[in-house]
Amino acid sequence: MIEVSRRSLRNGLRVAAIPIAGLRSVSVLLAMEAGQFFEPAGRPGVARLTAQAMLRGTTSRDARAWSDALDGLGASARLDVGSHAAVFAGQCLADDLGAFLDLIADTVLRPALAPEALEFVRSRALADLEEAKKDTRSVADETWRELVYPVGHPFRTRSIGDEDVVRTATIDEIRAYHRTGIHAAGSVLVLAGALDADRAFEVSERAFGPWAEGGTLDRPLRSVDLDGASRRAVVVPDKTQADVVLGWPGLPRTDPRFTKAQVANMVFAADTFASRAGQVVRDELGLAYYVFSTISGTAAQGPWTVRMGVNPENVERAIAVTFTELKKIRDGAVADDDLALARDKLVGELEVGRESPSGVAGMVLEAELFRLGDDHLERYPRELRSVSKADVVAIASALLPIDRYALAIAGPEIPAAS
Amino acid sequence: MIHALEARHAPVVSLWVWYHVGGRNEVPGTTGMSHFLEHMLFKGTPTHPKGDLDRLLARYGAQWNAFTNEDVTCYFETVPRDRYEVALELEADRMRNALISADEVDAERTVIVSEREGLENDPSFLLGESLQAVAFDRHPYGQGVIGSKFEIKLMTRDGLYAHYRRYYAPNNAYVVVVGDDRAETLVEKAATAFGGVGQAEIVASPLAPEPPQMGEKRLVVHRAGGALPIVQLGFHTAAASDPRAAALQALAVALAGGGGGDAASGRSSRLYRGLVERELATEVDASFGLTKDPFLFMIEATVRPGVTHAAVEAALLQELGRLADEPIDESEFARVRRGLLASVAFPSDTITWRAFRLGSLLSTGAAPSIGAWYDALAKVMPEDVQRCARDTFVERSRTVGHFIPEAG
Repeated sequence: MIEVSRRSLRNGLRVAAIPIAGLRSVSVLLAMEAGQFFEPAGRPGVARLTAQAMLRGTTSRDARAWSDALDGLGASARLDVGSHAAVFAGQCLADDLGAFLDLIADTVLRPALAPEALEFVRSRALADLEEAKKDTRSVADETWRELVYPVGHPFRTRSIGDEDVVRTATIDEIRAYHRTGIHAAGSVLVLAGALDADRAFEVSERAFGPWAEGGTLDRPLRSVDLDGASRRAVVVPDKTQADVVLGWPGLPRTDPRFTKAQVANMVFAADTFASRAGQVVRDELGLAYYVFSTISGTAAQGPWTVRMGVNPENVERAIAVTFTELKKIRDGAVADDDLALARDKLVGELEVGRESPSGVAGMVLEAELFRLGDDHLERYPRELRSVSKADVVAIASALLPIDRYALAIAGPEIPAAS
Repeated sequence: MIHALEARHAPVVSLWVWYHVGGRNEVPGTTGMSHFLEHMLFKGTPTHPKGDLDRLLARYGAQWNAFTNEDVTCYFETVPRDRYEVALELEADRMRNALISADEVDAERTVIVSEREGLENDPSFLLGESLQAVAFDRHPYGQGVIGSKFEIKLMTRDGLYAHYRRYYAPNNAYVVVVGDDRAETLVEKAATAFGGVGQAEIVASPLAPEPPQMGEKRLVVHRAGGALPIVQLGFHTAAASDPRAAALQALAVALAGGGGGDAASGRSSRLYRGLVERELATEVDASFGLTKDPFLFMIEATVRPGVTHAAVEAALLQELGRLADEPIDESEFARVRRGLLASVAFPSDTITWRAFRLGSLLSTGAAPSIGAWYDALAKVMPEDVQRCARDTFVERSRTVGHFIPEAG
């Protein structure tokens, strides 16, 4: 069992500490409710620009001094914006935990957000956007989102944002987003590894105690429902492989059906080898090197997508057999062994995931961030095991309709005869 | 040989089987054969027909896969502790009993072509593959690992089977296991599983040592399939077993840190400050790989829009020259050393990565243990790094590659 100690700071920051004996390092995850879901409407890209600008110096250290201090610890760190949260993820040696948290807190609580910092990260983001236009996976993903999510929906673009927004964002906008979006309320700090829980709470309090509480944002969104099948192929010149994204709007992580959806996802396509679509597309027919599906765990209806990399000649066949496998599931043709395999795999992964402090921290973070309950990690394997064939069929019927989907293809031209 | 380490922090065991066969053991006409064979080892044995293995391991939530590089082919399973014997049985079985049928070879061929085509979509891969081919005149490292698409299409079942029988045997392999049991017990169980596997007559592959390079080589790759230009530099360097290997790793950390991409760490490194901070490049990287034979010290920079290849190449060479000409000061070296030691400590806290780290040190001859490698890194001094920079970054052993995106 994973033993979690929890404490809430007065400003609302929730801290979870998991001591793991026999390690030398600590894995740190700080999740702030400042992902795409919380971005100002119509301004996709502001959250990521803010996060990147936060790493360009604080009110007491310029960017150079801050990175000297971080690298002086030998710590690893990154700050990424996801669909739900902006997550500071890192690892440090056990003795450095206090100093590492101080450095993270400095950049989260007191970033300088100087105009030149914005210009630096803006030009980098524009270069990344330019690169993404020639990257078949990025193009397929972006195209799929445009087919599914209406204008203004936070998941319509990838977290890198919209080019116009990146070009026009002002430093005042970035500062305002930091002021209103980066706050203790709703944030979660998870520490796992070579630590003592009481000492971990103490250094967390020292680093993050002064953080403003702020207020959580409620962002009501209308349900996303596809009214038919849509398909768009984008030619990316001089590529040899097509990337395919087939998918549907999923369901929020807090939806009581989410665990059932995870099992359905595993039966269908989650794993290249253990799921139905993977077995047929790769193993039996040799149509693709990779094929897998993911269901996004976020505050709203994140993407539920099947992705594959396929030779242009094989695109149509790979898509057709994927639908065939889905139709079988919807029709109830789910072998007992396939269902048992899916459940066993998901449960087994929880056990194997304990091999690393970052794996443990990730499991705890999901439970804390979405308030799945203090006993979630203990309940979760039982919930997975209780999912029945009827549940899988019901989920596939309700959420994976074969006449309402979005299909995006990016790469070389697809041959007409394909 | 069987090597085991105890790791008691999770009820998990990670088993790795390393075969001394990779791109290094191939000749023109059979490039990619070791990698192709790796795929075929997932197609079953008489005891465990195709699919059996996948489903059995998936059922345990195992993390499992395989890879082939220039020197080795490696298979691993990280499983719950009580499934260790199952993983052993599967690996011992497929060491000599893999079914490699003509039908399965044909079916898998398209998968491997697809894997290669996915790599070809990446400009960095395309340039790196070409640079490697230009940098090596004689040594098979110039052929890469995945092989030419044309040769993949021509590969035969009989050729693959002969390759399998020649290289897959206990006397051409070693086992690394890390996990939640006494090391002696882990070894005993592995010895029992592999003890009955028959040996093969191992015939050493003919080696073609690389003659010294006598001057700079240059190449250009043009394609429409990339948006940003890239500059790569490859310098002939030392093998993993060379006494300078630890200092060369320190040199890579001094140049690019351990971060890369969007990471917040590694930004105090020379190349980040000299190119990314100065808005010449969007990304930089430097690597010294642990290999059996002398390979390449690689440098890569993605060029910012509006900046020329020449400007980035000049800035890279300037930074390399500075490291060769001036000793690193104390505070910078303290950061480098810390990053270097963390690069051993952090992965070692994950059971799978601890096993991988030990296996890669052993497979290349870099060190007999993780502790010995840690000690070697800890002993590196600033003057060692400077000496390595001076010896490595010389014009005559340099290969320069430019990726030029074309309108499309």
